[in-house]
Amino acid sequence: MYTLKLSFIKYLIVASFFNVSFSLYEDQIGKFDWKLNFVGNVKYGSIDSSKRLIVATEENVLASLNLKNGQIHWRQILETAPNQIVLLYVDREIITVSGGKGTWYVRGWDLNVGSLLWEWSFYMENKQNFYWILSKDQLVNVAPVIGSHLEVTQYDVRSGRNNGKTVKISTPWVSDLSRCTTAGVYWACLSSDDSSGQLYYTDVLAPANQVHMFPVQSLIGSAPGRVEIKFLELSDSNLLLIRNNAARYIHLKPDLPHVYPYSLSPKAIAVANGDQTLLLQMILNTTTKKYQIQTIELQEGTENVFEMEYNNEAGVASVITAFCKGSACRVLIKSNDNSISLLQLPGGKASWTREEALSQVVSAEFLELPLSELDASIEHEFDSVSGDRFSTFYNRIFSQIRQLLVVLTGKQGNSNIGLVRDEFGLHKVIVVVTSVGKIYALDSITGSTVWSKYLPNVQPFLVLEHQKAPLFVQRSARYSPLAAQCVVLMKDKITGHGVMHAFDPITGEVVQDLRLPYRIEQAMLLPIEDENHLKGILILSDDNEVNVYPPSAKSIILKHSSSIFLYTANSNTKTLHGYNLHQSSNDKLRVTSTWDLNLGQAELLAVNVRPSSERIHSQGRVLADRSVLYKYVNPNLLAIATLMDDPIHKHVLSIYLVDGVTGLVVYSVAHKRVAKPIHLVHSENWLVYTYYNARFRRMEMAAVELYEGATQSNSTSFSSHAVSQLPHPETQAYIFPGLPLAMQSTLTERGITNKHIIVALSTGAVTEVPWAFLEPRGPQGTMNPEEGYIPYIPELPIPAEATINYNQTIPQVRGIEVAAARLESTCLVLVYGLDLFYTRVTPSKTFDLLKEDFDHWLIAFVLIGLTAASYITKRLASRKALKQAWK
Amino acid sequence: MASNKTQNKRLKWSLDSTRCNRLNSMNESTLPAPPAYSTSSILSNNEVAKKTDTGHLIIKKSWELALAPIKQVPMNLFIMYMAGNSISIFPIMMVGMLFMRPIQALFSLNATFKMIENSSVIGQKLVYIFGNLVNIGLALYKCQSMGLLPTHTSDWLAFVEPRIRQEYIGGGITLV
Repeated sequence: MYTLKLSFIKYLIVASFFNVSFSLYEDQIGKFDWKLNFVGNVKYGSIDSSKRLIVATEENVLASLNLKNGQIHWRQILETAPNQIVLLYVDREIITVSGGKGTWYVRGWDLNVGSLLWEWSFYMENKQNFYWILSKDQLVNVAPVIGSHLEVTQYDVRSGRNNGKTVKISTPWVSDLSRCTTAGVYWACLSSDDSSGQLYYTDVLAPANQVHMFPVQSLIGSAPGRVEIKFLELSDSNLLLIRNNAARYIHLKPDLPHVYPYSLSPKAIAVANGDQTLLLQMILNTTTKKYQIQTIELQEGTENVFEMEYNNEAGVASVITAFCKGSACRVLIKSNDNSISLLQLPGGKASWTREEALSQVVSAEFLELPLSELDASIEHEFDSVSGDRFSTFYNRIFSQIRQLLVVLTGKQGNSNIGLVRDEFGLHKVIVVVTSVGKIYALDSITGSTVWSKYLPNVQPFLVLEHQKAPLFVQRSARYSPLAAQCVVLMKDKITGHGVMHAFDPITGEVVQDLRLPYRIEQAMLLPIEDENHLKGILILSDDNEVNVYPPSAKSIILKHSSSIFLYTANSNTKTLHGYNLHQSSNDKLRVTSTWDLNLGQAELLAVNVRPSSERIHSQGRVLADRSVLYKYVNPNLLAIATLMDDPIHKHVLSIYLVDGVTGLVVYSVAHKRVAKPIHLVHSENWLVYTYYNARFRRMEMAAVELYEGATQSNSTSFSSHAVSQLPHPETQAYIFPGLPLAMQSTLTERGITNKHIIVALSTGAVTEVPWAFLEPRGPQGTMNPEEGYIPYIPELPIPAEATINYNQTIPQVRGIEVAAARLESTCLVLVYGLDLFYTRVTPSKTFDLLKEDFDHWLIAFVLIGLTAASYITKRLASRKALKQAWK
Repeated sequence: MASNKTQNKRLKWSLDSTRCNRLNSMNESTLPAPPAYSTSSILSNNEVAKKTDTGHLIIKKSWELALAPIKQVPMNLFIMYMAGNSISIFPIMMVGMLFMRPIQALFSLNATFKMIENSSVIGQKLVYIFGNLVNIGLALYKCQSMGLLPTHTSDWLAFVEPRIRQEYIGGGITLV
């Protein structure tokens, strides 16, 4: 009975806690948040009628887009990578084949609403390459074995029934799968990659399995150059032979292949137009720099060229699909920046463009907006210290006249209207870098794109199987006449050398675009500003040479070289290195290793540091006896997670807290029988991490807190070198009933507000877990409870009210970016994955803001009314007194 | 019945007293004083007696004033005990009163001892101040036991500044 009561009380505490701090009213939907939906990098597309466009993407999304405006009708998200959609077929229903790792799923989808009609799956041994052909309700799986044979298996596409046999076709001429393709029911290969080779092809469904062989020379003539074979999209039994970027259209037939005399581009597609076949290709007119679409009628050979009103700095990558009816065509093209556009023929207009690169965000940053011109001019009044009395007076009068004009006319003479700082710092610009190398700036209020810039031939770095592009804010928009400046680092696609792009995040103006002559090993933002308030960037090249941008920042480094340290964690050699900086003889900066940490055989999973902009308001924790337990706040502390194979415990997860300056291991812990995924959140003096407990088969969330003790060794400054004693840790673990995909802790301006941990779950929900729930109280906590003590509950609740994205599912989340608003209570959150979701969270409620339903008018009226009433009654009273006196 | 009558008569008489006084005053000027009646000597005698009496009374009164705060102490102790240590509106009000009264009394020290003029009351003043200080001490003790005094380190935690970092660190997992 007692325990029941206790648990009920616990439940009440938890319930009251959540109800107070979270949830949204119905009329607040979409007021503080926005969500942008994407489909991803389009792989296959099919225009079904004049209404619908069905696309399948690299992100395993199947979606139906409105042909008129490009909006998503419906969207289905299939299994995540390494699974892939390998076949899309649209007829009366949509048929997809997707899978990987041996298991394949064949599904049928409803065209109108996207519901699943039927599904069957089968397992195949993990072979490298499969080819899929769909022919007359038969799904054909072709598995080539190099130099030997093809294994061909047929399935009924709806039921998955196969006739129990796998046909083996002897094909000893298959030597290299990059020179092979399927073309309709044919399997075709080139024997060598120059003109001297042979073209082999065979019908995989024909009972006789006759192999045809023709020399390439006889088909496309002999000329030097590499010959490639390519399946022509959207056609049957046709392929392209490409040599020197010119393609020939070849129609495969059982007897002799027919070669058409048109010279095509390798990106040409074939479109059925009634009973005609139309070849369609995109050409860039080099003189006018405009795109053209060329159509060729296959039989008659009549050519038409349409000028396109389509402009894209990235360039067109491919024509995905097209749909023609008479002379009118709709052409779906994909650009190099992964955006898809629908072009109309014969008009040549682009109906719509979807920026699908935004589904591949690799890094994001919130940036403050500049002051409005008016506010800036008021600020500038105080700039001139030596200004004489008259000019100051003139400045004041001038700016006040302008203020008056703004009030009267209600508009500002400003170039970037709307993009100015607001009072509470809620309006920001979000700069996102995408994996294709396109940088976008988004308005945080509306989610609309302010500017975008494509960087050609770049790709992000691959860090622990995640794509990363370091993005540094060198100068914020605070220093008004000086524009803000950001730097993004990526690498060249071909050479792998570093690419540095410096830009103004508000306008998108390029400050500098540098292709560096070396690979980037690591980079850091210097903590010290120069006289222009610009923070320099230090780039460590792969041969341990230090480069500085801008070069003038070198003197700053030399001045502060004793206090700047660098660390690198190498996931291949499994070592961590700490470096300090010094100047070598030939006027170059060099790094010298100060410490090394060998992780042994363990696999490096994550390295995490506290956000540098984080401020901690409270330096300690108040205990029940009103003494203080001081926090161990080490800004140089690295949190490292490693996973090691173990013969007894399968896998052992180790968590280390290492001082990055000295290499001192401050704390370490090991968890046995643990599996991935591991996520770390490091903030203030604590660390929260999640792992999968393989023994109990559940996700667990553990918290570590570090305390210095009852006294502070040095109350004014913190140095990693001054270690008097190790901090004492307090730990606690909880069951977490969800699968986290990404975690982040909230960040506020002054750190007074409580901390929440934002967790993106695999269900598509993004939830908040208060740090107060996770806080390990140690032995003191349970002995004599402190104020506001929350009793230990093994299983953390995930109440629906704590879901910050309410009913909007956010699939495939890859990261969460947070930023502080100027309002202490508010933290801005951007969740990125397939979709982009922005909202603001208030972990301690909006304690510094009036409620939006606060009745200003009522209060004003009551106040004015009371004041007026008191004056009137005063008058009346004096009159009455006068009358009485006269009596 | 008879007594009533006499009373009435008396009342009547007394009612007419003003007239009588007038008559008296009239008589006074006209009538000579009775024999062996000396107005002056009685007057002087009376004055002497009065003087010694008031001086004594003033000292008595001033000591009463000086000791009043100390006499309040048991009462205050009782109030404090009854108020308890919980922090709610009534105990806070009581603690406020405990504080306010002695402080007000100390400020109005001179006004209190003004009526006792031309005699030295330094001793009494000292006792009075001491008594009020005792009361303030009691109030402080009450605050202490209620936990209202910022005597612990935790009470000053909000003013502890974050420590300035001496070293800066940057880096991460190698990008190559």
